[in-house]
Amino acid sequence: MSESTLFLVTFIFYILAAFFYFSFFFTRKENLAKTGFGTALMGLILHTAALIMRTIESSHAPFTNMYESLSFLAWASILAYIIIEWKFKFRNAGPYFMLIVIALMALASSPLMPKEANPLVPALQSYWLWLHVSVTLLGEAFLAVAFITSIMYLVADAKEKRSQPRTSGISSKKLDSISYRCIAIGFPLFTLGGLIFGMIWAYYAWGSYWSWDPKEVWSLITWFVFALYLHTRITMGWKGRRAAFIAILGFLAALFTFFGVNYLLVGLHSYT
Amino acid sequence: MKSLLNFFSSVKLAIVLLIIITCASILGTLIPQQRSAAEYAIRYGQLANLFTRLQLINLYHSFWYIGLLFLFALNIIICTLTRLSPKFRRVFKPKLAFEPKNINALKIKEKLRKNWNLSRTREELSRELSSRHYHLKEKEKENKSYLLARKKLLGFFGSDVVHLGLLIILAGGIVSGLGGFRKNLILFEKQVLSVPRANYSLRLDKFETEYYPNGSIRDWKSTLTVLENEKPLFSKIVEVNHPLSYKGFVFYQYSYGWNWENPSLEIWIKKRNDPSFLKKLKIKTGERVRLESEDIQFSVLHFIPDFVINEKNQIASRSNEPNNPAAFIEGWQGEERIFSGWIFARFPDVDRLHSKKETNLAFELRDFKSNQFSVIQAAKDPGVNLIWVGCTFLTLGLALAFYWPTREIRVILEESQGKTEVMAGGIASKSRDTFQSEFEKIMSRLRRAE
Repeated sequence: MSESTLFLVTFIFYILAAFFYFSFFFTRKENLAKTGFGTALMGLILHTAALIMRTIESSHAPFTNMYESLSFLAWASILAYIIIEWKFKFRNAGPYFMLIVIALMALASSPLMPKEANPLVPALQSYWLWLHVSVTLLGEAFLAVAFITSIMYLVADAKEKRSQPRTSGISSKKLDSISYRCIAIGFPLFTLGGLIFGMIWAYYAWGSYWSWDPKEVWSLITWFVFALYLHTRITMGWKGRRAAFIAILGFLAALFTFFGVNYLLVGLHSYT
Repeated sequence: MKSLLNFFSSVKLAIVLLIIITCASILGTLIPQQRSAAEYAIRYGQLANLFTRLQLINLYHSFWYIGLLFLFALNIIICTLTRLSPKFRRVFKPKLAFEPKNINALKIKEKLRKNWNLSRTREELSRELSSRHYHLKEKEKENKSYLLARKKLLGFFGSDVVHLGLLIILAGGIVSGLGGFRKNLILFEKQVLSVPRANYSLRLDKFETEYYPNGSIRDWKSTLTVLENEKPLFSKIVEVNHPLSYKGFVFYQYSYGWNWENPSLEIWIKKRNDPSFLKKLKIKTGERVRLESEDIQFSVLHFIPDFVINEKNQIASRSNEPNNPAAFIEGWQGEERIFSGWIFARFPDVDRLHSKKETNLAFELRDFKSNQFSVIQAAKDPGVNLIWVGCTFLTLGLALAFYWPTREIRVILEESQGKTEVMAGGIASKSRDTFQSEFEKIMSRLRRAE
């Protein structure tokens, strides 16, 4: 099976997983969510195989153009989601999160994204490519989970205030705590991969650890937003609505760093 | 003075500064930085002047942005220091004789009564806590016994270590900005250049561009030799991602280029009506060559590596790369110029010759060679080691703050009529769930022990 077929089969598995999670969402049958989880896990295994094949075929890390990066981000997101669901026994974010993953996979497979594997340009020929990109995107994947749980928080909170029945079957307090736990994983990973590994690599490749390149600045902005989240939460006790807003803003900043900077701003990181 | 200290020790100031710095940083990515005045004038018109005056066109190096970073650093220092001494006191000189109400106020707590005397109860509980790696402090006061069990105390300082790391990184940035020095060295093969502000020289032995089979660039490699007192010390191949470090300097493969002033060209001359005729001519620009058989003086006047006709209808070179090499040639017969025009290496069939006389000669630009040079950036960055130390602290601090959560268990033991009243409470700033289950296990062990 070729890499592109494997990618397609993975995509189908993710769509099936979304289908099961949504069935769970409407019927509240726990078994459907479990099936969804199993399907997503199968998808993750196939996706891993696809990424390995891509690495062997192109003989470089599977995240050097937009198609590869989107596919890898989808992979990291599924991994992050599976870890969070398994660790917190928390299935309710499944349907929403699967939508994000499907959006990433759809974008990756769109004809706008060139699929062919090009040989690496000189600046990318470094093992720091592996460390910098994979750790950063894994961090961003956990921030994506926090983004979903924060939105769910806002909805659950609004319903609780009007004493309407819960639709997600989980208390807003629990959602707030899960958001925090996701950020507690995502933020250190993002710091290490995005900022620290980025600085080390920039020093070896470009001769300067910091150049105020738009991608660097936007990583810093993302980092500031989550620093704001942690400080307002820990020292000023901002939980709930305000925390959820900051977490949503933070993920949007991370998304812009990943995606927007490449298309809207010009800089050293324009590799697509 | 005191109010100033209070001002800088507030977390609210930190939050306000964070928001201002974030907004300023966003602004800096929306306005292109460090471009020419003409570009700003075209882009922003009247506003360009204002932007220049507010230093928005070099925002990250502007006085006000750096000033904000200084304020932020000061805020971090004072915030961290004012919180540090109570923390040290809590860790190294903890109060042991706590009141029962201190324990009652805790979220995680339990009370039980044991049919043992005080010393046995204390011994059993201490053993259980020690086996879970808790450090114990004990105190007896009146007929009560106080037990303070703590572990992973370093996690308590995680945020301080993060702040220390950030300050070291900022300090590194200052050192780099003030003491940093970089210069581009343009080296042709076999050329020796002395490194500025250093007592040695560099020689470029070889420069080559490697290509992938599909024609895209694989790498640029400069073989450099370090010379001291004109004696070669060692050689190293410098390529992208693999710089050379020597005596405080780092040398990077930065760029490359060609000197197109006087290239060596090879021009093939063919006859349209005689396929067997072929003359290969090696010529330099400005040189005049006589073609005996045709009685023509042939010369090349200009060479352009990347031929383009620009918006002003002028002939120019789009870049310094040989993407569309073109040569302007002339042919003379006595005092009369009989043809002139451009020929193109990539488009041998394009004939832009203006000729006065009918000529059946065709010219092809077959080869062009010029001296290639390598640009090596010599960089001295005294702040970089501070940056790595800061990054280490930052990583370590984050790991401590998030994954080394301090746990504290406070116990009051009181004996009455041979039985012991145990009152215990636990404090954990992070991952409270796992701590609670550990706490419950410890207490249920004690309850069940015979």
